[in-house]
Amino acid sequence: MSMFILRRLGQILLSLVVILIITFHLMHAAPGDFFNIERLANQQITGARLSQFEEKSPTLMMWEERYGENTPVWRQVLIYVRHAAVLDFGPSFRYPDTTLQEMMATHFPRTFILAFLPMSLALLVGIPMGVLAAVYRNTWIDRATMFISVLGICIPSYVIALLAIVLFAVTLQWLPTSGWGSWEHVVLPVLAMMFQPVASIARYVRASLAKELNEDYVRTVFAKGGDRNQAIFRHALRNSLIPLLTISGPQFAFLMVSTAFIETVFNIPGLGKLFVAAAGTRDYPMIITSTLFFGFLIMVMNLLVDIGYALIDPRIRASYQRRR
Amino acid sequence: MAVNRADLYPASDEASGPQGVSYWGNVWRRFRVNRMAVASLWFVVLLILCGVFAPLIAPYGYNEIRLDEAYQPPSWRHIAGTDEIGRDIFSRLIFSLQNALAVAFGATAISVVVGGVIGAVAGYWGGRIDSVLMRMTDVMYAFPGFLFSIILVSVLGRGIVTIFISLAVTSWVGFARLMRGQALSVKNSEYVEAARALGATHGHIIWRYILPNSLGPLIVSIAFMIPGAIMTESALSLLGLGVMPPRPSWGILINVGSINLRAFPYQLYWPVATFGLTLLAFTYLGDGLNDAFNPKE
Repeated sequence: MSMFILRRLGQILLSLVVILIITFHLMHAAPGDFFNIERLANQQITGARLSQFEEKSPTLMMWEERYGENTPVWRQVLIYVRHAAVLDFGPSFRYPDTTLQEMMATHFPRTFILAFLPMSLALLVGIPMGVLAAVYRNTWIDRATMFISVLGICIPSYVIALLAIVLFAVTLQWLPTSGWGSWEHVVLPVLAMMFQPVASIARYVRASLAKELNEDYVRTVFAKGGDRNQAIFRHALRNSLIPLLTISGPQFAFLMVSTAFIETVFNIPGLGKLFVAAAGTRDYPMIITSTLFFGFLIMVMNLLVDIGYALIDPRIRASYQRRR
Repeated sequence: MAVNRADLYPASDEASGPQGVSYWGNVWRRFRVNRMAVASLWFVVLLILCGVFAPLIAPYGYNEIRLDEAYQPPSWRHIAGTDEIGRDIFSRLIFSLQNALAVAFGATAISVVVGGVIGAVAGYWGGRIDSVLMRMTDVMYAFPGFLFSIILVSVLGRGIVTIFISLAVTSWVGFARLMRGQALSVKNSEYVEAARALGATHGHIIWRYILPNSLGPLIVSIAFMIPGAIMTESALSLLGLGVMPPRPSWGILINVGSINLRAFPYQLYWPVATFGLTLLAFTYLGDGLNDAFNPKE
């Protein structure tokens, strides 16, 4: 088991390096950069108006020198890795007076709350919904649950967010429309983010529980005199929850990334919003660092899911040990 | 006395439907039963027609500015109202269909062709090509496509071409996986062996045997990718990373509506309602196709 974790950590490190190299090269493949975007050039570097064909002004060369943009890409990658190894990511282009690790530290907790709360609530709501739908298959309960979950799957969270704002913030005026700070600001974003995971969890539980309920061992429970609750909750449900763990990893990752929309709609200063803004202005340090950060989070999530998988299901634990 | 077909072929499976009906006839027969799916199909056809004939249907141009008619609520003149510079929201909605459908079908087509060819080749030949492909799909699966789209926008700049490229790059893997699986399951079957014995080339086998066999699952996953593509396009436009204004897009319309939410909520209703209905229609269409092609479930 520990061999397995070590090997996976090695793979994560390797993937991060690959992502780093690809992003660095992508960034430098296109003409122009942060300092060449005219609007920003006008704002930040006085008198440094230039297109890529004109000769570089001394001011621009000074900026490029300062950020190491004039060295070859492979050296930039190495310099980045050397500093990233001790968690020093330096300042971003756009916010030169703070470091990226400081910005991450203030912005990431908000994004994490916006992904973690909906995910845990979705498990609390989605599993019972799926169980109900599977047990009362082909009745109105099943059809109603499945209709709600189709809606949840195909209506994106930002649309639900807007509808929720219209209803709860504008019409009823119960909650604030946007911002961040008190618990009231969290309610609507979490509600909007919840729909999609609730829907897919409910669908997943329904499908896998319905399959388990047809298995022989469930019939054995009835044959031995067990009642329906015992068959469902003690036996079938436990088996059908194991595959659910597999989808919750990618699901959580997806929520983490889709906070970008919710943070935009609700004007929440989180990591997703920062990342999107950085993409608009080609703020390389910010883009690269947040890409790596998101990538790292997602891969660690997947690893945790795999470990949890092994802890829960003895069959899988055995297969890990055998491979060793 | 007439020979009873059922006596001649006692083992004929009932799932394939009445005798003398083609595969596609059967699929259509099973699809037709699902009323939601049929209604969705008509809705999608209507959307496509609206998109294609947008200049004829829309009462105004998508960038026809009439400052004296700004911020009008829905009326007979402007059935969805007007925006902050007096542009007709209904017309902009019709034109944004063009973007959405171009992205939906165009990006899907690219992903299907690229992913399908790579997957079929990898599954058919196996070996090193196969293991390289599988390693790649593992990495792509772990990495959310939307992150990549945003990076690509920052590199290539915003615009419909960037959306095409980023969707194609992130979604060909799914089709490659599908085709690989199909190729693996078909390549050792007896009829492929027979074809090979008769001297069929590899290209011929892939084109005539592997592709037709995988058409069902391929169509189903195409139907499920299309709403995803529409969602990605509007999501990027919502964040200001999608199509360039003044061209309209669902995402841009929703974004404008959300900014003016307090004072002019009607700006949001039509874009959100049509967007939701469209995604719903494509999802039900996909469900219907899935049931029609995989009757076992």
